[in-house]
Amino acid sequence: MNIRTLLRLELKNRISGNSSSKNSWLKYIGYPILLAAAVYGIYYVGCMFFEMFDKAGIAYEALVILYTVFFLFMCFIGTSSTIKVLYYKGDNEILMRYPVSGTEVFISKTLFLIITQFAITAVVLVPFLVSYGKTMALDMEFYKLIPVSVLFMMFIPFFISNMLAIPIMHLTNRIRNKFGLIIIGLAICVTLMFAAYMLLFDKMVTFMNDTEFSVFSDGFVAVIVKVAEYLIPTKYFADVLIGHQLYIAYPVLIGLTGFGLIGTILVIAKLYAKTLLNNIEVEGSAFKRKTKNRPRPIFMTLLHKEFLQVFRSVNYSFQYFVLACAMPVMVYFCNNITLQLGKDQIGEQIALGMTLLVMLIFATVITSFSATSVSREGDNFYHTKVAPVSIVKQLFVKFFMYFIVSVLANGICVGVLIFTKQVEAMVGLWIFVIVESISIGLTLSSMRMDIKRPYFNLSGEGEVVNNNASTTLSVALGFFVAIVEGVLCMFLSYLAADGFVVPGTEFVLTQNLMYIVCTAFAGIVLIGSIFNYCFKLTKTYNKIAK
Amino acid sequence: MLEISHLYKKYMNSERFSVEDLNLSLKPGEIFGFLGQNGAGKSTTIKCLTGIYPFNSGSITICGHDIQKDPINAKLNMGYVPDNHSVYEKLTGREYVNYTADLYKVSKRDRNERFEKYVNQFKLNKAVDNQIKSYSHGMKQKICIIAALIHNPKLWVLDEPMMGLDHQSMVEILKRMDDHCADGNTVFFSSHNLDLVSKICDRVAIIKDGRLQTVIDLHIKGNKETLETTFCKITATEQDLINQESTLSRNIILHD
Repeated sequence: MNIRTLLRLELKNRISGNSSSKNSWLKYIGYPILLAAAVYGIYYVGCMFFEMFDKAGIAYEALVILYTVFFLFMCFIGTSSTIKVLYYKGDNEILMRYPVSGTEVFISKTLFLIITQFAITAVVLVPFLVSYGKTMALDMEFYKLIPVSVLFMMFIPFFISNMLAIPIMHLTNRIRNKFGLIIIGLAICVTLMFAAYMLLFDKMVTFMNDTEFSVFSDGFVAVIVKVAEYLIPTKYFADVLIGHQLYIAYPVLIGLTGFGLIGTILVIAKLYAKTLLNNIEVEGSAFKRKTKNRPRPIFMTLLHKEFLQVFRSVNYSFQYFVLACAMPVMVYFCNNITLQLGKDQIGEQIALGMTLLVMLIFATVITSFSATSVSREGDNFYHTKVAPVSIVKQLFVKFFMYFIVSVLANGICVGVLIFTKQVEAMVGLWIFVIVESISIGLTLSSMRMDIKRPYFNLSGEGEVVNNNASTTLSVALGFFVAIVEGVLCMFLSYLAADGFVVPGTEFVLTQNLMYIVCTAFAGIVLIGSIFNYCFKLTKTYNKIAK
Repeated sequence: MLEISHLYKKYMNSERFSVEDLNLSLKPGEIFGFLGQNGAGKSTTIKCLTGIYPFNSGSITICGHDIQKDPINAKLNMGYVPDNHSVYEKLTGREYVNYTADLYKVSKRDRNERFEKYVNQFKLNKAVDNQIKSYSHGMKQKICIIAALIHNPKLWVLDEPMMGLDHQSMVEILKRMDDHCADGNTVFFSSHNLDLVSKICDRVAIIKDGRLQTVIDLHIKGNKETLETTFCKITATEQDLINQESTLSRNIILHD
């Protein structure tokens, strides 16, 4: 009985959140629709993915690669969920006060983890496998074996995650305060993952344009075949499904499941209770840092504090610094593909507008962080009111930090675009001016939204965990501005290239007019945001009562 | 030192004033206690005078500087210790105190001197370079106090400073208050601990339902001894009186 209650509590706590009845109705209708759309989307992408590889005669290898990526993904998700669900401090501290045994808590949480693993596997892997069956025109035998494959894929990563969770938790506790290292590491990971994703996407786009030919060279195909041979044990998942080398595949997978189960039982029996109590007792994440008493000018001390508040939080660093670091690579790949797509579908003329659109979308993602400027102060908000420094100056410091990051990110992005000859130097400079002006405008608008409606409900280590309404609005506004500016640039460039004459006049649209209109739009966004930001700023800020 | 004149404060969406026509005048060199039941308006008054809350009408001047018209100079003369001990937990204790010292433009010499003095007095030497999130409740309170005193403010405001502190920590804070006033500065603090207030304060004010009820000079003979009775008489509700007349199950009479 306790296990059922605890499991329900866990599911409610992690999934449902606290929503009103009106929102619940939206959830009941909206979630299944979204889920169905996601499943169909995965199926559609899967069909294209396997068709592309099948054209090169390496569909089986593609399935092995897919299994490998998914296996690693499940191990990653499983480990992080295990740490969060089984060993997370706050949650366990509350549960230990209730009259329930440790075994009941453990079983309910483990059941929750298994349900999560099953849900992810079913929603993500199954549509891919069905798309493989459809592409290769396989019979019912293949589809009947999908549940077997799902079960193996659910349990093996689950057991591995359970064995890895404790050592990884100790490792992350050790490196938790090496903030620079974490940011660099995360930036590299995000960049590599994004680059790999975009390269694959690029190949798929090429394939979509001409499905008659393989997009892979013979050398590349040979490498894929060789690599797939050595992808053990994940290739055995594919083998089970297609009935290949079953005499090895089944024993290996069953053996792995057995070893995993025994390993998990041993780890849990020996270390679970010890680690749990240790986590509750020890405040392991704090660090010691010897510094000198060094006076700084007020501006610098505020900036230093603001930087440390973001830098010393893995959550905030990831949301802001890591994405800003990865932005040039993301912009390069996205721009490359959109240019290719746009030029093929419409024409050369829209290239500049596409670049502008891509840059502005990424700039929006980065600047949306400023929509939590005030909210992030949390319980320390009173400091900003008590400090003998004007509110205008304190807010300017926050803005200045965002400005520095956006100038660097946008500057490097444009540098990359110029260096890779995606745009000319003068055009690149113009793009920089436009994107930076709009970035400043969006930053000020986001800050102002947060000042008007801050969200001080922090959790965990005093950080904003869920994005507030201002963040959502800020992203929506950014996307809107990006689309208007991008489309304006594309449309006017297209008309100018055709020598469009305004009806009833002799006025011919030129490329210069496009530059003037787009610059004027960016100028309006910037000036409008400055006015909106400055209007009764101190009065509005002083109204915030925390 | 601190002049509060006809202060009115009403929260948004509230129908009644949380603080109504409050007048107070604090002299240099005195420790002033601010008493009242929960929700009486103590913290609201303190938050108004520190600049955290805007207020509807009236005026607050600190060392001659109006908190609304000249907030920077008013705040430069004040040190504040909040009731929730909130500090930037990602900083170390030293970083936090230095941050505050920078905002109050404390010179390097004064900063070093005061820092060492207070860190020693509050026995935080070992922890001062640790990240604040590892601090205990009492340690956080102490680092708040050091940060509030680093610029040697003329007016030191504390909102329920003894809440949740052990005896030793309370004694340390009381000693600091006494030393601070001995130098001609003023301490203004709210508390629920009548015994402590009667021991350390020169004067106390009692507030009920946002209105100042009385200001008692504790140097006048007999006032210290009768403070608790006076406080109860002023603030007690009908239910409080019933509770006081009743006895506990072990026959201990609650009211003398």
